Amino acid sequence: MKRKTRSPNKRQTAKTSGRRLRAGAKISAKSSGKTGRKPQPRRQTKPDDAIEALVAASAQALGLPLDPGWRAAVKFNFQLILRHAALVDEFPLPDEAEPAPVFHA
Amino acid sequence: MLETPRFDSGWNSAENIVAAIASGRASAVSVVEATLARIRKRDPLLNSFTAVLEHRALTRAAALDDAREKGNRPGPLTGVPFAVKNLFDVAGLPTIAGSKINRDAPPATRDAALIERLEAAGAVLVGALNMGEYAYDFTGENVHDGPSRNPHDLNRMTGGSSGGSGAAVAGGLVPLALGSDTNGSIRVPASLCGIFGLKPTYGRLTRARTFPFVSSLDHLGPLARTARDLALAYDAMQGHDADDPACADRAAEPVVPLLEQGIDGLRIAVAGGYFKCQSAETVSAMDRVAAALGANRDIDIPQAERARSAAFVITASEGASVHIDRLRARARDFDPAVRDRLIAGAMTPAALVMKAQKFRRWYRGEVLKLFAEVDAILTPATPCTAPLLGQQTFTFGDVELPVRANLGFYTQPISFIGLPVVAIPVPLAPLPIAVQVIAAPWREDVALRIAHALEVKGVVAAMRPPE
Repeated sequence: MKRKTRSPNKRQTAKTSGRRLRAGAKISAKSSGKTGRKPQPRRQTKPDDAIEALVAASAQALGLPLDPGWRAAVKFNFQLILRHAALVDEFPLPDEAEPAPVFHA
Repeated sequence: MLETPRFDSGWNSAENIVAAIASGRASAVSVVEATLARIRKRDPLLNSFTAVLEHRALTRAAALDDAREKGNRPGPLTGVPFAVKNLFDVAGLPTIAGSKINRDAPPATRDAALIERLEAAGAVLVGALNMGEYAYDFTGENVHDGPSRNPHDLNRMTGGSSGGSGAAVAGGLVPLALGSDTNGSIRVPASLCGIFGLKPTYGRLTRARTFPFVSSLDHLGPLARTARDLALAYDAMQGHDADDPACADRAAEPVVPLLEQGIDGLRIAVAGGYFKCQSAETVSAMDRVAAALGANRDIDIPQAERARSAAFVITASEGASVHIDRLRARARDFDPAVRDRLIAGAMTPAALVMKAQKFRRWYRGEVLKLFAEVDAILTPATPCTAPLLGQQTFTFGDVELPVRANLGFYTQPISFIGLPVVAIPVPLAPLPIAVQVIAAPWREDVALRIAHALEVKGVVAAMRPPE
Protein backbone atom coordinates (compact mmCIF):
# COMPACT_ATOMS: atom_id res chain seq x y z
CA MET A 1 0.00 0.00 0.00
CA LYS A 2 1.20 3.48 -0.77
CA ARG A 3 2.31 5.19 2.41
CA LYS A 4 1.76 8.86 2.99
CA THR A 5 3.97 11.14 4.98
CA ARG A 6 2.79 12.18 8.39
CA SER A 7 0.60 15.24 8.70
CA PRO A 8 2.04 18.38 10.31
CA ASN A 9 2.82 18.36 13.99
CA LYS A 10 -0.34 17.68 15.98
CA ARG A 11 0.61 19.84 18.90
CA GLN A 12 0.87 22.81 16.60
CA THR A 13 -2.53 21.97 15.07
CA ALA A 14 -4.17 21.81 18.49
CA LYS A 15 -2.73 25.17 19.49
CA THR A 16 -3.91 26.75 16.28
CA SER A 17 -7.40 25.36 16.81
CA GLY A 18 -7.48 26.70 20.31
CA ARG A 19 -6.45 30.18 19.19
CA ARG A 20 -8.99 30.21 16.40
CA LEU A 21 -11.81 29.22 18.66
CA ARG A 22 -10.85 31.76 21.27
CA ALA A 23 -10.69 34.40 18.57
CA GLY A 24 -14.23 33.47 17.60
CA ALA A 25 -15.48 34.22 21.09
CA LYS A 26 -16.42 37.68 22.25
CA ILE A 27 -13.46 40.01 21.66
CA SER A 28 -12.91 42.66 24.30
CA ALA A 29 -11.74 46.20 23.47
CA LYS A 30 -8.46 45.40 25.19
CA SER A 31 -7.67 42.32 23.18
CA SER A 32 -8.73 43.91 19.90
CA GLY A 33 -5.97 46.47 20.27
CA LYS A 34 -8.20 49.56 20.42
CA THR A 35 -6.53 50.86 23.54
CA GLY A 36 -3.48 51.91 21.59
CA ARG A 37 -1.18 49.87 23.82
CA LYS A 38 1.99 48.55 22.31
CA PRO A 39 1.38 45.02 20.99
CA GLN A 40 2.80 42.35 23.31
CA PRO A 41 4.78 39.43 21.95
CA ARG A 42 2.47 36.43 21.50
CA ARG A 43 2.65 34.17 24.53
CA GLN A 44 3.43 30.52 23.88
CA THR A 45 0.33 28.53 24.90
CA LYS A 46 0.94 25.34 26.86
CA PRO A 47 -0.73 22.26 25.30
CA ASP A 48 -2.72 21.71 28.48
CA ASP A 49 -3.99 25.30 28.41
CA ALA A 50 -4.87 24.90 24.74
CA ILE A 51 -7.02 21.84 25.48
CA GLU A 52 -8.70 23.63 28.36
CA ALA A 53 -9.41 26.62 26.13
CA LEU A 54 -10.65 24.35 23.35
CA VAL A 55 -13.05 22.55 25.71
CA ALA A 56 -14.41 25.84 27.04
CA ALA A 57 -14.76 27.34 23.57
CA SER A 58 -16.34 24.20 22.12
CA ALA A 59 -18.90 24.11 24.91
CA GLN A 60 -19.73 27.74 24.20
CA ALA A 61 -19.91 27.24 20.45
CA LEU A 62 -22.08 24.14 20.78
CA GLY A 63 -24.33 25.64 23.43
CA LEU A 64 -23.40 22.94 25.92
CA PRO A 65 -23.40 23.63 29.64
CA LEU A 66 -20.02 23.27 31.33
CA ASP A 67 -20.34 23.58 35.08
CA PRO A 68 -16.99 24.43 36.70
CA GLY A 69 -17.29 21.19 38.67
CA TRP A 70 -17.43 19.16 35.44
CA ARG A 71 -14.59 20.84 33.56
CA ALA A 72 -11.80 18.58 34.76
CA ALA A 73 -13.72 15.40 33.91
CA VAL A 74 -14.79 16.70 30.49
CA LYS A 75 -11.23 17.75 29.76
CA PHE A 76 -9.93 14.34 30.87
CA ASN A 77 -12.42 12.58 28.60
CA PHE A 78 -11.69 14.90 25.69
CA GLN A 79 -7.97 14.22 26.03
CA LEU A 80 -8.72 10.50 26.14
CA ILE A 81 -10.69 10.78 22.89
CA LEU A 82 -7.84 12.72 21.28
CA ARG A 83 -5.35 10.07 22.37
CA HIS A 84 -7.45 7.33 20.78
CA ALA A 85 -8.03 9.49 17.71
CA ALA A 86 -4.29 10.10 17.37
CA LEU A 87 -3.69 6.36 17.20
CA VAL A 88 -6.10 6.18 14.27
CA ASP A 89 -4.91 9.43 12.70
CA GLU A 90 -1.29 8.34 12.53
CA PHE A 91 -2.21 5.23 10.53
CA PRO A 92 -1.58 5.87 6.84
CA LEU A 93 -4.61 5.34 4.61
CA PRO A 94 -4.76 6.02 0.88
CA ASP A 95 -6.60 9.12 -0.30
CA GLU A 96 -9.16 6.81 -1.92
CA ALA A 97 -10.10 5.16 1.39
CA GLU A 98 -13.88 5.08 1.77
CA PRO A 99 -15.64 5.40 5.12
CA ALA A 100 -17.75 2.55 6.42
CA PRO A 101 -21.19 3.87 7.41
CA VAL A 102 -24.21 2.04 6.04
CA PHE A 103 -26.17 4.06 3.54
CA HIS A 104 -28.41 2.84 0.76
CA ALA A 105 -29.70 5.38 -1.77
CA MET B 1 -56.27 -28.58 33.58
CA LEU B 2 -52.67 -28.67 32.43
CA GLU B 3 -51.08 -27.83 35.78
CA THR B 4 -48.35 -30.09 37.08
CA PRO B 5 -46.46 -28.99 40.17
CA ARG B 6 -43.48 -31.20 39.32
CA PHE B 7 -42.13 -29.12 36.46
CA ASP B 8 -39.66 -26.57 37.83
CA SER B 9 -39.03 -23.96 35.18
CA GLY B 10 -36.53 -22.11 37.41
CA TRP B 11 -33.33 -23.45 35.92
CA ASN B 12 -34.86 -25.12 32.90
CA SER B 13 -33.91 -24.08 29.42
CA ALA B 14 -36.32 -22.51 26.97
CA GLU B 15 -36.08 -25.75 25.01
CA ASN B 16 -37.25 -27.79 28.04
CA ILE B 17 -40.06 -25.36 28.82
CA VAL B 18 -41.35 -25.63 25.25
CA ALA B 19 -41.20 -29.42 25.46
CA ALA B 20 -42.96 -29.50 28.84
CA ILE B 21 -45.80 -27.32 27.57
CA ALA B 22 -46.09 -29.22 24.29
CA SER B 23 -46.34 -32.53 26.17
CA GLY B 24 -48.85 -31.20 28.69
CA ARG B 25 -46.49 -31.51 31.67
CA ALA B 26 -46.86 -27.79 32.24
CA SER B 27 -49.00 -24.92 31.03
CA ALA B 28 -47.84 -21.53 29.85
CA VAL B 29 -49.73 -19.98 32.76
CA SER B 30 -47.99 -22.19 35.32
CA VAL B 31 -44.57 -21.37 33.84
CA VAL B 32 -45.29 -17.64 33.82
CA GLU B 33 -46.73 -17.71 37.35
CA ALA B 34 -43.61 -19.49 38.61
CA THR B 35 -41.46 -16.96 36.78
CA LEU B 36 -43.28 -14.02 38.34
CA ALA B 37 -42.96 -15.64 41.77
CA ARG B 38 -39.20 -16.04 41.30
CA ILE B 39 -38.88 -12.43 40.22
CA ARG B 40 -40.77 -11.30 43.34
CA LYS B 41 -38.56 -13.44 45.56
CA ARG B 42 -35.13 -13.00 43.99
CA ASP B 43 -35.14 -9.67 42.23
CA PRO B 44 -35.00 -7.53 45.36
CA LEU B 45 -31.48 -8.98 45.66
CA LEU B 46 -30.47 -9.01 41.99
CA ASN B 47 -32.08 -5.68 41.01
CA SER B 48 -32.34 -6.84 37.43
CA PHE B 49 -35.90 -5.73 36.59
CA THR B 50 -37.12 -2.14 36.26
CA ALA B 51 -40.67 -3.17 35.22
CA VAL B 52 -42.58 -6.42 35.67
CA LEU B 53 -45.55 -6.97 33.36
CA GLU B 54 -47.65 -9.38 35.40
CA HIS B 55 -51.02 -8.72 33.80
CA ARG B 56 -49.70 -8.68 30.25
CA ALA B 57 -47.68 -11.86 30.76
CA LEU B 58 -50.49 -13.82 32.40
CA THR B 59 -53.01 -12.72 29.76
CA ARG B 60 -50.65 -13.76 27.01
CA ALA B 61 -49.89 -17.11 28.69
CA ALA B 62 -53.60 -17.85 29.10
CA ALA B 63 -54.13 -17.13 25.41
CA LEU B 64 -51.35 -19.57 24.53
CA ASP B 65 -52.93 -22.28 26.69
CA ASP B 66 -56.32 -21.65 25.10
CA ALA B 67 -54.79 -21.95 21.66
CA ARG B 68 -53.17 -25.23 22.59
CA GLU B 69 -56.39 -26.63 23.98
CA LYS B 70 -58.04 -25.74 20.69
CA GLY B 71 -55.42 -27.79 18.89
CA ASN B 72 -53.41 -24.91 17.41
CA ARG B 73 -49.83 -25.76 16.57
CA PRO B 74 -47.44 -24.27 19.15
CA GLY B 75 -44.58 -22.00 18.11
CA PRO B 76 -40.90 -22.79 18.66
CA LEU B 77 -40.86 -20.70 21.86
CA THR B 78 -44.37 -21.29 23.19
CA GLY B 79 -44.60 -20.39 26.85
CA VAL B 80 -40.97 -19.25 27.22
CA PRO B 81 -40.79 -16.23 29.54
CA PHE B 82 -38.33 -13.56 28.46
CA ALA B 83 -37.39 -10.01 29.40
CA VAL B 84 -35.70 -7.15 27.57
CA LYS B 85 -33.14 -4.48 28.37
CA ASN B 86 -35.14 -1.34 29.03
CA LEU B 87 -34.00 0.35 25.82
CA PHE B 88 -36.49 -1.85 23.91
CA ASP B 89 -39.87 -0.23 23.34
CA VAL B 90 -42.59 -1.99 25.34
CA ALA B 91 -46.08 -0.76 24.55
CA GLY B 92 -47.42 1.20 27.50
CA LEU B 93 -44.02 1.96 29.08
CA PRO B 94 -41.64 4.86 28.50
CA THR B 95 -38.40 3.54 26.99
CA ILE B 96 -36.10 4.70 29.77
CA ALA B 97 -32.80 3.32 28.40
CA GLY B 98 -31.37 3.37 31.90
CA SER B 99 -31.88 7.11 32.25
CA LYS B 100 -33.76 9.48 34.51
CA ILE B 101 -34.59 11.84 31.63
CA ASN B 102 -36.48 9.32 29.48
CA ARG B 103 -38.89 8.57 32.34
CA ASP B 104 -40.66 11.73 31.19
CA ALA B 105 -41.08 10.39 27.66
CA PRO B 106 -44.55 9.26 26.56
CA PRO B 107 -45.20 5.53 26.76
CA ALA B 108 -44.27 3.53 23.68
CA THR B 109 -47.26 2.72 21.50
CA ARG B 110 -45.87 -0.46 20.02
CA ASP B 111 -43.39 -3.16 21.06
CA ALA B 112 -39.89 -3.29 19.59
CA ALA B 113 -39.71 -5.46 16.47
CA LEU B 114 -37.73 -8.21 18.19
CA ILE B 115 -40.31 -8.47 20.98
CA GLU B 116 -43.00 -8.89 18.36
CA ARG B 117 -40.99 -11.60 16.63
CA LEU B 118 -40.31 -13.54 19.83
CA GLU B 119 -43.96 -13.31 20.85
CA ALA B 120 -45.01 -14.43 17.37
CA ALA B 121 -42.95 -17.56 18.09
CA GLY B 122 -44.87 -18.07 21.36
CA ALA B 123 -42.57 -16.42 23.92
CA VAL B 124 -44.04 -14.33 26.74
CA LEU B 125 -42.60 -10.94 27.70
CA VAL B 126 -42.50 -10.60 31.50
CA GLY B 127 -40.62 -7.34 31.99
CA ALA B 128 -37.97 -4.73 31.26
CA LEU B 129 -34.43 -4.92 32.61
CA ASN B 130 -31.92 -2.66 34.29
CA MET B 131 -29.01 -1.30 32.25
CA GLY B 132 -26.21 1.25 32.29
CA GLU B 133 -27.43 4.72 31.41
CA TYR B 134 -28.00 5.10 27.66
CA ALA B 135 -25.87 1.95 27.18
CA TYR B 136 -22.62 3.92 27.64
CA ASP B 137 -21.36 1.45 30.19
CA PHE B 138 -19.49 -1.81 30.78
CA THR B 139 -20.23 -2.26 34.51
CA GLY B 140 -24.00 -2.80 34.92
CA GLU B 141 -24.07 -0.02 37.51
CA ASN B 142 -26.79 2.63 37.29
CA VAL B 143 -27.02 5.74 39.47
CA HIS B 144 -30.80 6.01 39.07
CA ASP B 145 -31.93 2.39 39.51
CA GLY B 146 -28.99 1.02 41.48
CA PRO B 147 -26.61 -1.65 40.17
CA SER B 148 -27.76 -4.97 38.82
CA ARG B 149 -26.02 -7.58 40.96
CA ASN B 150 -24.10 -10.64 39.91
CA PRO B 151 -25.99 -13.81 40.93
CA HIS B 152 -22.69 -15.59 41.69
CA ASP B 153 -21.72 -12.92 44.22
CA LEU B 154 -24.15 -10.12 45.00
CA ASN B 155 -21.27 -7.79 45.83
CA ARG B 156 -19.94 -8.00 42.31
CA MET B 157 -20.73 -6.38 38.98
CA THR B 158 -22.83 -8.04 36.32
CA GLY B 159 -20.98 -6.22 33.59
CA GLY B 160 -22.84 -3.97 31.23
CA SER B 161 -24.48 -2.31 29.78
CA SER B 162 -26.99 -5.20 29.52
CA GLY B 163 -26.47 -5.84 33.24
CA GLY B 164 -30.07 -6.68 34.09
CA SER B 165 -30.15 -9.12 31.17
CA GLY B 166 -27.10 -10.91 32.57
CA ALA B 167 -28.43 -11.02 36.12
CA ALA B 168 -31.96 -12.15 35.19
CA VAL B 169 -30.73 -15.07 33.07
CA ALA B 170 -27.82 -16.13 35.29
CA GLY B 171 -30.01 -15.77 38.38
CA GLY B 172 -32.64 -18.16 36.97
CA LEU B 173 -35.41 -15.56 36.78
CA VAL B 174 -35.93 -16.03 33.03
CA PRO B 175 -34.31 -18.46 30.57
CA LEU B 176 -33.96 -15.79 27.90
CA ALA B 177 -33.30 -12.06 27.72
CA LEU B 178 -32.51 -9.56 25.01
CA GLY B 179 -29.71 -7.03 25.22
CA SER B 180 -27.84 -4.63 23.01
CA ASP B 181 -24.15 -4.64 22.15
CA THR B 182 -22.38 -1.59 20.76
CA ASN B 183 -18.89 -2.34 22.04
CA GLY B 184 -19.45 -5.46 24.15
CA SER B 185 -22.64 -4.90 26.13
CA ILE B 186 -23.97 -8.44 25.56
CA ARG B 187 -20.62 -10.25 25.73
CA VAL B 188 -19.30 -8.51 28.86
CA PRO B 189 -22.30 -9.39 31.09
CA ALA B 190 -22.41 -12.88 29.55
CA SER B 191 -18.80 -13.31 30.65
CA LEU B 192 -19.10 -11.87 34.16
CA CYS B 193 -22.41 -13.67 34.85
CA GLY B 194 -21.35 -16.95 33.24
CA ILE B 195 -24.02 -17.37 30.54
CA PHE B 196 -24.18 -17.58 26.76
CA GLY B 197 -24.57 -14.42 24.69
CA LEU B 198 -24.91 -13.89 20.96
CA LYS B 199 -23.93 -10.69 19.20
CA PRO B 200 -24.96 -11.40 15.63
CA THR B 201 -23.51 -9.86 12.47
CA TYR B 202 -24.12 -6.11 12.20
CA GLY B 203 -27.37 -5.70 10.29
CA ARG B 204 -28.65 -9.21 10.97
CA LEU B 205 -31.33 -8.42 13.57
CA THR B 206 -33.63 -5.44 13.32
CA ARG B 207 -33.20 -2.67 15.86
CA ALA B 208 -36.56 -1.08 15.05
CA ARG B 209 -38.20 0.62 18.01
CA THR B 210 -35.23 0.45 20.35
CA PHE B 211 -33.42 3.44 21.81
CA PRO B 212 -30.20 4.05 19.85
CA PHE B 213 -26.70 4.69 21.11
CA VAL B 214 -24.22 4.49 18.21
CA SER B 215 -26.00 3.67 14.99
CA SER B 216 -22.77 2.59 13.23
CA LEU B 217 -22.08 -0.01 15.90
CA ASP B 218 -25.38 -0.94 17.60
CA HIS B 219 -26.42 -4.60 17.58
CA LEU B 220 -29.17 -6.49 19.42
CA GLY B 221 -29.07 -10.11 20.51
CA PRO B 222 -30.08 -12.79 23.03
CA LEU B 223 -28.57 -14.02 26.30
CA ALA B 224 -29.44 -17.50 27.56
CA ARG B 225 -28.20 -20.43 29.64
CA THR B 226 -27.66 -22.80 26.70
CA ALA B 227 -26.35 -22.43 23.18
CA ARG B 228 -29.48 -24.06 21.80
CA ASP B 229 -31.68 -21.47 23.49
CA LEU B 230 -29.60 -18.73 21.87
CA ALA B 231 -30.18 -20.41 18.51
CA LEU B 232 -33.93 -20.85 19.12
CA ALA B 233 -34.33 -17.17 19.94
CA TYR B 234 -32.00 -16.06 17.15
CA ASP B 235 -33.89 -18.06 14.53
CA ALA B 236 -37.18 -16.56 15.69
CA MET B 237 -35.81 -13.01 15.34
CA GLN B 238 -34.12 -13.16 11.93
CA GLY B 239 -35.40 -11.51 8.78
CA HIS B 240 -35.34 -8.17 7.02
CA ASP B 241 -37.16 -5.18 8.46
CA ALA B 242 -37.45 -1.95 6.51
CA ASP B 243 -37.98 -0.09 9.80
CA ASP B 244 -34.25 -0.44 10.57
CA PRO B 245 -32.20 1.17 7.76
CA ALA B 246 -29.15 -0.91 8.71
CA CYS B 247 -31.02 -4.24 8.72
CA ALA B 248 -29.69 -6.35 5.86
CA ASP B 249 -32.09 -7.40 3.13
CA ARG B 250 -31.26 -11.01 3.72
CA ALA B 251 -33.43 -14.08 4.14
CA ALA B 252 -33.46 -15.86 7.47
CA GLU B 253 -30.81 -18.57 7.76
CA PRO B 254 -31.99 -20.89 10.56
CA VAL B 255 -29.26 -22.29 12.77
CA VAL B 256 -31.13 -24.75 15.00
CA PRO B 257 -31.18 -27.46 12.30
CA LEU B 258 -27.39 -27.13 11.96
CA LEU B 259 -26.40 -27.33 15.61
CA GLU B 260 -25.76 -31.07 15.65
CA GLN B 261 -23.36 -30.88 12.72
CA GLY B 262 -20.56 -30.59 15.25
CA ILE B 263 -17.16 -29.08 14.62
CA ASP B 264 -15.52 -31.62 12.33
CA GLY B 265 -13.74 -29.83 9.54
CA LEU B 266 -13.90 -26.40 11.16
CA ARG B 267 -10.58 -24.55 11.27
CA ILE B 268 -10.32 -22.80 14.61
CA ALA B 269 -7.50 -20.49 15.69
CA VAL B 270 -6.54 -18.61 18.84
CA ALA B 271 -5.91 -14.87 18.52
CA GLY B 272 -2.54 -13.71 19.82
CA GLY B 273 -0.90 -10.29 19.98
CA TYR B 274 -3.36 -7.75 21.33
CA PHE B 275 -5.64 -10.57 22.51
CA LYS B 276 -3.00 -12.38 24.53
CA CYS B 277 -4.31 -13.41 27.95
CA GLN B 278 -3.16 -11.20 30.81
CA SER B 279 -4.72 -12.98 33.79
CA ALA B 280 -4.77 -16.49 35.23
CA GLU B 281 -8.54 -16.71 34.62
CA THR B 282 -8.34 -15.87 30.94
CA VAL B 283 -5.41 -18.26 30.48
CA SER B 284 -7.35 -21.06 32.14
CA ALA B 285 -10.55 -20.42 30.18
CA MET B 286 -8.79 -20.10 26.83
CA ASP B 287 -6.65 -23.21 27.44
CA ARG B 288 -9.70 -25.33 28.25
CA VAL B 289 -11.63 -24.21 25.21
CA ALA B 290 -8.70 -24.35 22.80
CA ALA B 291 -7.72 -27.83 24.00
CA ALA B 292 -11.27 -29.15 23.64
CA LEU B 293 -11.44 -27.81 20.10
CA GLY B 294 -7.92 -28.86 19.11
CA ALA B 295 -7.24 -25.23 18.23
CA ASN B 296 -3.46 -25.26 18.00
CA ARG B 297 -3.02 -22.45 15.55
CA ASP B 298 -2.32 -18.87 16.61
CA ILE B 299 -3.48 -16.01 14.45
CA ASP B 300 -2.83 -12.28 14.55
CA ILE B 301 -5.73 -9.89 14.12
CA PRO B 302 -3.92 -6.91 12.61
CA GLN B 303 -4.20 -3.44 14.14
CA ALA B 304 -6.67 -4.53 16.82
CA GLU B 305 -5.51 -1.83 19.23
CA ARG B 306 -6.14 0.85 16.62
CA ALA B 307 -9.52 -0.73 15.89
CA ARG B 308 -10.48 -0.35 19.52
CA SER B 309 -9.40 3.28 19.44
CA ALA B 310 -11.42 3.94 16.30
CA ALA B 311 -14.48 2.34 17.93
CA PHE B 312 -13.88 4.57 20.96
CA VAL B 313 -13.83 7.73 18.81
CA ILE B 314 -16.91 6.81 16.78
CA THR B 315 -18.78 5.87 19.95
CA ALA B 316 -17.95 9.16 21.66
CA SER B 317 -18.99 11.25 18.70
CA GLU B 318 -22.11 9.41 17.52
CA GLY B 319 -23.26 8.89 21.10
CA ALA B 320 -22.96 12.60 21.72
CA SER B 321 -24.95 13.42 18.60
CA VAL B 322 -27.85 11.31 19.89
CA HIS B 323 -27.88 13.18 23.20
CA ILE B 324 -26.77 16.72 22.39
CA ASP B 325 -30.23 18.27 22.86
CA ARG B 326 -30.69 16.49 26.19
CA LEU B 327 -27.23 17.65 27.26
CA ARG B 328 -28.21 21.25 26.50
CA ALA B 329 -31.52 21.01 28.31
CA ARG B 330 -30.99 18.56 31.18
CA ALA B 331 -27.30 17.94 31.69
CA ARG B 332 -27.73 17.67 35.45
CA ASP B 333 -30.13 14.76 35.09
CA PHE B 334 -27.52 12.50 33.48
CA ASP B 335 -25.30 10.09 35.35
CA PRO B 336 -22.24 12.37 35.73
CA ALA B 337 -19.89 9.70 34.36
CA VAL B 338 -22.01 9.43 31.21
CA ARG B 339 -22.61 13.17 30.87
CA ASP B 340 -18.93 14.12 31.02
CA ARG B 341 -18.04 11.58 28.33
CA LEU B 342 -20.90 12.69 26.09
CA ILE B 343 -20.00 16.37 26.40
CA ALA B 344 -16.41 15.53 25.48
CA GLY B 345 -17.68 13.37 22.63
CA ALA B 346 -19.64 16.30 21.19
CA MET B 347 -16.35 18.18 20.83
CA THR B 348 -14.59 15.47 18.81
CA PRO B 349 -13.31 16.91 15.50
CA ALA B 350 -15.37 15.54 12.62
CA ALA B 351 -12.26 14.89 10.51
CA LEU B 352 -11.00 12.43 13.11
CA VAL B 353 -14.35 10.65 13.32
CA MET B 354 -14.41 10.30 9.55
CA LYS B 355 -10.89 8.93 9.62
CA ALA B 356 -12.00 6.33 12.16
CA GLN B 357 -14.79 5.30 9.78
CA LYS B 358 -12.29 5.01 6.94
CA PHE B 359 -9.99 2.95 9.12
CA ARG B 360 -12.97 0.76 9.94
CA ARG B 361 -13.36 -0.22 6.32
CA TRP B 362 -9.64 -0.88 5.93
CA TYR B 363 -9.56 -3.03 9.06
CA ARG B 364 -12.61 -5.00 7.94
CA GLY B 365 -10.83 -5.88 4.69
CA GLU B 366 -7.75 -7.10 6.55
CA VAL B 367 -9.66 -9.17 9.09
CA LEU B 368 -11.87 -10.76 6.43
CA LYS B 369 -8.71 -12.10 4.76
CA LEU B 370 -8.14 -14.20 7.88
CA PHE B 371 -11.40 -16.03 7.29
CA ALA B 372 -9.98 -17.48 4.09
CA GLU B 373 -7.68 -19.48 6.38
CA VAL B 374 -9.86 -20.13 9.44
CA ASP B 375 -13.56 -20.54 10.22
CA ALA B 376 -13.49 -19.21 13.77
CA ILE B 377 -11.20 -17.28 16.07
CA LEU B 378 -11.08 -17.56 19.86
CA THR B 379 -10.28 -14.67 22.22
CA PRO B 380 -11.07 -13.95 25.86
CA ALA B 381 -14.36 -12.07 26.31
CA THR B 382 -13.28 -9.98 29.30
CA PRO B 383 -9.86 -9.32 30.81
CA CYS B 384 -11.01 -10.43 34.27
CA THR B 385 -13.84 -12.09 36.20
CA ALA B 386 -16.53 -9.92 37.82
CA PRO B 387 -15.02 -6.96 39.72
CA LEU B 388 -16.56 -5.80 42.98
CA LEU B 389 -19.31 -3.19 42.71
CA GLY B 390 -17.68 0.22 42.75
CA GLN B 391 -14.24 -1.20 42.00
CA GLN B 392 -12.27 1.36 40.02
CA THR B 393 -9.29 -0.57 38.65
CA PHE B 394 -8.16 -4.11 37.91
CA THR B 395 -4.80 -5.71 37.24
CA PHE B 396 -4.04 -6.31 33.58
CA GLY B 397 -0.71 -8.03 33.22
CA ASP B 398 1.53 -5.82 35.28
CA VAL B 399 -0.50 -2.62 35.08
CA GLU B 400 -3.64 -1.29 36.78
CA LEU B 401 -6.38 -0.23 34.36
CA PRO B 402 -9.70 1.55 34.99
CA VAL B 403 -12.56 -0.98 35.11
CA ARG B 404 -15.21 1.15 33.46
CA ALA B 405 -13.29 1.77 30.25
CA ASN B 406 -11.50 -1.55 29.91
CA LEU B 407 -13.97 -4.38 30.50
CA GLY B 408 -14.54 -4.15 26.73
CA PHE B 409 -10.85 -4.43 25.90
CA TYR B 410 -11.32 -7.70 23.97
CA THR B 411 -14.83 -7.10 22.65
CA GLN B 412 -14.48 -3.66 21.04
CA PRO B 413 -12.16 -4.56 18.14
CA ILE B 414 -14.59 -7.31 17.07
CA SER B 415 -17.96 -5.55 17.16
CA PHE B 416 -16.22 -2.60 15.47
CA ILE B 417 -16.56 -4.49 12.18
CA GLY B 418 -19.76 -6.30 13.03
CA LEU B 419 -18.45 -9.86 13.19
CA PRO B 420 -20.80 -12.43 14.77
CA VAL B 421 -19.67 -13.64 18.18
CA VAL B 422 -20.95 -16.13 20.72
CA ALA B 423 -19.69 -15.58 24.28
CA ILE B 424 -19.33 -19.05 25.84
CA PRO B 425 -19.15 -19.35 29.64
CA VAL B 426 -16.31 -21.35 31.17
CA PRO B 427 -17.39 -22.43 34.68
CA LEU B 428 -14.27 -21.53 36.63
CA ALA B 429 -14.41 -21.37 40.43
CA PRO B 430 -15.28 -19.18 42.18
CA LEU B 431 -16.37 -16.99 39.27
CA PRO B 432 -17.06 -17.76 35.61
CA ILE B 433 -15.56 -16.01 32.60
CA ALA B 434 -16.34 -16.29 28.90
CA VAL B 435 -14.43 -16.84 25.68
CA GLN B 436 -15.44 -15.19 22.41
CA VAL B 437 -16.06 -17.49 19.44
CA ILE B 438 -15.78 -15.16 16.45
CA ALA B 439 -16.91 -16.13 12.97
CA ALA B 440 -16.98 -14.52 9.53
CA PRO B 441 -19.86 -12.16 8.74
CA TRP B 442 -23.22 -13.96 8.43
CA ARG B 443 -21.76 -17.20 9.85
CA GLU B 444 -23.50 -17.19 13.21
CA ASP B 445 -24.08 -20.89 12.51
CA VAL B 446 -20.35 -21.62 12.86
CA ALA B 447 -20.04 -19.84 16.22
CA LEU B 448 -23.23 -21.44 17.57
CA ARG B 449 -22.19 -24.92 16.42
CA ILE B 450 -18.90 -24.55 18.26
CA ALA B 451 -20.68 -23.27 21.38
CA HIS B 452 -23.12 -26.16 21.31
CA ALA B 453 -20.39 -28.77 20.75
CA LEU B 454 -18.40 -27.44 23.72
CA GLU B 455 -21.52 -27.47 25.88
CA VAL B 456 -22.23 -31.10 24.95
CA LYS B 457 -18.63 -31.95 25.91
CA GLY B 458 -19.11 -30.24 29.26
CA VAL B 459 -16.35 -27.71 28.64
CA VAL B 460 -18.65 -24.70 28.83
CA ALA B 461 -21.84 -24.31 30.86
CA ALA B 462 -23.93 -21.77 32.72
CA MET B 463 -23.32 -22.54 36.41
CA ARG B 464 -26.31 -22.39 38.73
CA PRO B 465 -25.54 -19.78 41.39
CA PRO B 466 -26.29 -20.25 45.11
CA GLU B 467 -29.75 -19.02 46.18
